[in-house]
Amino acid sequence: MTAVAESNGLWENMYQGRTAFVRYWAYIGLMLGAAGLAIFGGDGYTESNYIFQLVGQDGLMWLGTGALLGAGLAIGYSFLRAEAGQGWIPQMMVPWFDGAALMVTLMALLTLLEPSAAMVSYEDQTNLFAGHVVMTMNVLFLFSAICYMVYLFAPASFIGGMATAAAWGAVYAGGSALLLRWYESYLFMDGEIGHAPVSNIYEVFILLFCITTIIYLQWEKRYEAKAMGAFVMALVASGVFFGIWLDSVGQAEIKPLVPALQSYWMKIHVPLNFVGYGSFAVACGAGMAYLVRQWLEVRNSKMLAVFPSLEQLDQLAYKSVAVGFPAFTLATILGAAWAAEAWGGYWSWDPKETWALIVWLVYGAYLHVRISHGWHGRTLAWWTVIGFLVTVFCFLGVNMYLAGLHSYGRLS
Amino acid sequence: MLAMSNITDYLKPILLRLGSMSLAITLLTVLALASVIGTVLLQNQDQADYLQQFGPIWYWVFRSLGLFDMYHTWWFLSLLGFLMLSLSTCLWRNVPRFLKEMRSSKVALSDSAMKHMKHSRHWELKGGSAENVLLTAKKRLKDWRIREEQRGDVSYIRADKGKYHKWGYICVHSAMLVILIGGWMSVQFGFRGNMSVPEGGKESEITFLKGTSTEYMKMPFEVRCNEFSIDFYPNGMPKEFKSNLTVIDGGKEVMTSDIIVNEPLYYKGVRIYQASFGDGGSNIRLKLLKLDGSGDIGSAEAKVYTTFKDEATGVSLEMTDFRPHNVENMAELGKAKDFQDMGPSVDFVMRGPGLKPVKIRSFMDAFELDGENRGNFMQVSFSGNTKEFESMALGLDMSNPQEWELLQRFIIHLAEADLNNKQKANMQAFKAAMDDVFGKGKRPDNFQAMAMRVLQAVQVIPRLPWPYIPVLDDYDQKYYTGLQLAEDPGMNVVWVGSALLVMGLCIMLYVSHRKLWLIVRRKGNDVSISFVGLSNRNPLNFDREFNEILSSMDDDMQQLKKGDAV
Repeated sequence: MTAVAESNGLWENMYQGRTAFVRYWAYIGLMLGAAGLAIFGGDGYTESNYIFQLVGQDGLMWLGTGALLGAGLAIGYSFLRAEAGQGWIPQMMVPWFDGAALMVTLMALLTLLEPSAAMVSYEDQTNLFAGHVVMTMNVLFLFSAICYMVYLFAPASFIGGMATAAAWGAVYAGGSALLLRWYESYLFMDGEIGHAPVSNIYEVFILLFCITTIIYLQWEKRYEAKAMGAFVMALVASGVFFGIWLDSVGQAEIKPLVPALQSYWMKIHVPLNFVGYGSFAVACGAGMAYLVRQWLEVRNSKMLAVFPSLEQLDQLAYKSVAVGFPAFTLATILGAAWAAEAWGGYWSWDPKETWALIVWLVYGAYLHVRISHGWHGRTLAWWTVIGFLVTVFCFLGVNMYLAGLHSYGRLS
Repeated sequence: MLAMSNITDYLKPILLRLGSMSLAITLLTVLALASVIGTVLLQNQDQADYLQQFGPIWYWVFRSLGLFDMYHTWWFLSLLGFLMLSLSTCLWRNVPRFLKEMRSSKVALSDSAMKHMKHSRHWELKGGSAENVLLTAKKRLKDWRIREEQRGDVSYIRADKGKYHKWGYICVHSAMLVILIGGWMSVQFGFRGNMSVPEGGKESEITFLKGTSTEYMKMPFEVRCNEFSIDFYPNGMPKEFKSNLTVIDGGKEVMTSDIIVNEPLYYKGVRIYQASFGDGGSNIRLKLLKLDGSGDIGSAEAKVYTTFKDEATGVSLEMTDFRPHNVENMAELGKAKDFQDMGPSVDFVMRGPGLKPVKIRSFMDAFELDGENRGNFMQVSFSGNTKEFESMALGLDMSNPQEWELLQRFIIHLAEADLNNKQKANMQAFKAAMDDVFGKGKRPDNFQAMAMRVLQAVQVIPRLPWPYIPVLDDYDQKYYTGLQLAEDPGMNVVWVGSALLVMGLCIMLYVSHRKLWLIVRRKGNDVSISFVGLSNRNPLNFDREFNEILSSMDDDMQQLKKGDAV
């Protein structure tokens, strides 16, 4: 709330009223243009070709036309109907679109730093630039986590600001690194193995960090819950160490997709699942903050001043679950739809599926006791923490310890 | 009559219990815990493996509990049935109440209810007009559903947003019921089984596991596999498994199509998936390099999955598998990967009088390292387990029959040579052998490398206990394609339920029922105004929303005060 009030006029205008409305439709037009290119452009959609069409002349034409058409229609409409700029959807969506556009731009700039084709090969991927960007992300996440923790003891707005800035920086580094990996996957073997960067544990870990952080930063912005950052970012930081370890044992390599993963479903099912996992991680962070605050209250600690109230933390944990649960449900359903196409049945009681069901039941029960029984507070805070442990087992433990149809997520 | 009411008296507490929340939570927990068992204990494995793993007692206990096919046991299915029952009861009990609540909600608000609300504000207008207040307030609340009521000299305005959020509960709970019903339909009326069709062959029967036994089912059509092919990435990883299938219905070819993983074929409600592949009985020819000192090379022909029996020696070769490619990483640990195709190989078990049965993987091509021909090799496993294969270099390049002859001559000459000077003996024997094979004084181009191979071979080959060395000579490959066939009449029901579930969740979690009341009391010339609000969820957002409306209301009231004063 205050963040909006502090910003200056021009900036504010970008996200309000007619400007937001026009920009929103320009983005929609851009996306429709991309879809049009996929369906009607060139010789039809082929995955390996599409990326290059997008960045080529065809892409400029289709996307540009879409965006201009969208913007033009929106301008026209806004003159006909004065209330056109009042809707909340454009105001809500435009910042997200801007963020995505920035991330793509960043990735496009990073491709300029990529070594020449002669310098990279499938066998030796150490030259690829995305690794450096991921390392930048790691450093920023760790720095951010440290700042958030320092903030608990020295709540200076400078430290808090640095923590938030580093977290955003890490999100952009991570997101653009993933996009860059997507591009890099086309660099060798004549582009034959190119695929979306959600195909192994290393890649989805980066995705998880970014999604978790984005969700947390939304809460921070809206509810001024900065002290919670120490807990959420501590989780992310521990994940970062795991990611560094994965890299060190060669799990970061870009590998071809096994036939079972060659499906557009992968691009939908996997990221959506991680929206679920990420929210559960934030819920866990809020739950931990709740428990710590209770512990501090007994000791009447000085740190209490920076902590959000118990009620607020309780609410934020619930909010995170409320974001994650439908996303996770949808992801599981779409996973079932994929399974129906690839494995001969929508449900096979594969360990991953079963554990997804268990996670679903855990958070389903959480929502039950909260909504219908009116439970609050300590028990539910523990519930979010334990629920997240179950979640971690679902997305990591199952791959490491249990065999099954999802075995391509295994550490090899 | 009396009996009837008695029954309902008995039933009522049971129904209450069934639809209760505690039972639902207990069921969810038990279901979650039970599901864990099935993920830790591998399902539907070979019974012999289980017996070996757990020993007879635990095997018997687990088996009688059905833990090896847990998700289809009566007790697990009754858990799901119980969940359905609980859901139905919950819906049956609550839906009428919810619908009634949504339809009729009181406009007037009692004073005691008002006192309990966290969000409230009061204003007093001296000499104000109640009608003006109501008018302004209604303008302010134009986005809300407004209803009014007048009770004596008190006017009530009730404003609602998200009134229909209770549909969320109804949707979610009925969705789960629909999904469970769909699942039940899938199990009851659907099937899922496998069939293996060799290239060129036809099949119309599927097999599937029911409990621990394998069952068969005839399809109303036949499937012919015209071709199966594997496409590889440059690094040797498989890129695509493709079957070209023809569906034959009533003797007529009705459809021919390619299927790959993720793109099944659909015919008469049955989906045909690419599930696996294997050798479909390739023709194999082996060279038999006899070790009886004669130096003869025999040959053996057999199809994979059949046994070649050699009458003369009593040795049998049971062909178990054939592979056209064997891609291996040849790099040392920690070095950049270097994938090489080792070429075709055949697996067989060699048995014979006085021989320990041995599993052998024999490669057709000589092995090349650093550009040098290192001769043929094979992998040998005495346990019969392919995981325990040990590599054995034969030394000789078997594609060149002269090399085999060379070895034979070398052995003969070595036996004649003076054994006191080993180096010299080797040299002389090799020269003599060369003369025998290639003619006196003549040498092939790369005879040094050949010499190295022969010296290597003489260390290994004479020591083999077998009557001959079988080496893969030629093959005519034939795959079988492993198909999965499934019919699932419950699937669409599940999708409907799923859509309902997601929709319901969104309504339930994101739509909050917010209620505002404006109570305007006339007291002679003065007006007393109360403004209260309530939300069933998301108090943080409602705080903000209420405060925003409140501040604008406050402005309105200030305006009215001024206006009335003038």
